[in-house]
Amino acid sequence: MKKTNNIYVLLVSIVILVSTKANAQISKAEIIATGLTCSMCSNAINKQLKSLPEVVNVETDLNTNTFTVTLKEGNTLSPKAFKDKVEKAGFFIGSLIVTTKSETIKQGGYVVVNNASSTNPEVQIQVLDKGYVTEKEFKKLSKSFKNIETYASNNEDDFHIKIIN
Amino acid sequence: MANTSIVSAQLKIGDPIPNITLKNQNNAAKSINQFKEKFVLIDFWASWCAPCRLGNKKLVKLYSSANSSKIEIIGISLDTDKTKWVKAIEKDKIEFTQLIDPKGFDANTAVLFGVEELPSKFLFNEKGILIAINPTEEEIIKYLN
Repeated sequence: MKKTNNIYVLLVSIVILVSTKANAQISKAEIIATGLTCSMCSNAINKQLKSLPEVVNVETDLNTNTFTVTLKEGNTLSPKAFKDKVEKAGFFIGSLIVTTKSETIKQGGYVVVNNASSTNPEVQIQVLDKGYVTEKEFKKLSKSFKNIETYASNNEDDFHIKIIN
Repeated sequence: MANTSIVSAQLKIGDPIPNITLKNQNNAAKSINQFKEKFVLIDFWASWCAPCRLGNKKLVKLYSSANSSKIEIIGISLDTDKTKWVKAIEKDKIEFTQLIDPKGFDANTAVLFGVEELPSKFLFNEKGILIAINPTEEEIIKYLN
């Protein structure tokens, strides 16, 4: 049993390594966190995000309750990195919008669910998968996307995204 | 490494009240260890922090009912916007001492006390020694009796 687990962990690690490579070049992430307590009243999310070596700066907007994370150029972070950090701080992601090079989303790992396309060299995309939107929003989206097989499968390595601009 | 002690500093029970001077809403400099022979309750808050604003209501009540010769309450705001802070003081009808260290969680005072979330409370006894972190209202009243 233990052996199987180890192999599984190894396989998952390889998949994560490969997929993070493919999801290259996020320059900015805007995160709204949710939880039982006021997310802005805790320094934990800020600290967790700043612990990523790829992070240059974290700014907080108290009017919109948004954490804006600026990242180093050429990083290979995937949206999952933000989810992991926010959850480590004891909160959940309510909304995650990332700014990335438009070629990034043409690589594997991203499924565009709205019909929008962008000619900009950089695009803003919202991640719509489970854990990247509120529970309520996820339920709603699951109904809208019931024809998208990959959405329901909750695979951690592909991201269903909406192009915002 | 002169900074190390500041970064790792975090107030523990038994520590003396630090010698910190901050400005109040009238821009007058006030020291937090000026109250001799009184309990001092320091409350870290910010105008945008909803749980803090609820807490203010309780503190206002506590302050008006407690014996003022026994306890002093000092609010320290981490607001970066001074106007919002002053408005909140008025709205919450706070009459006890209000000071500001306007740099959010990066404020020196917050780092020195080890404030990682708002609100955070620190109770010092009449000798200026930290005796409780985040005490409840009941606990504070018990200490005063």
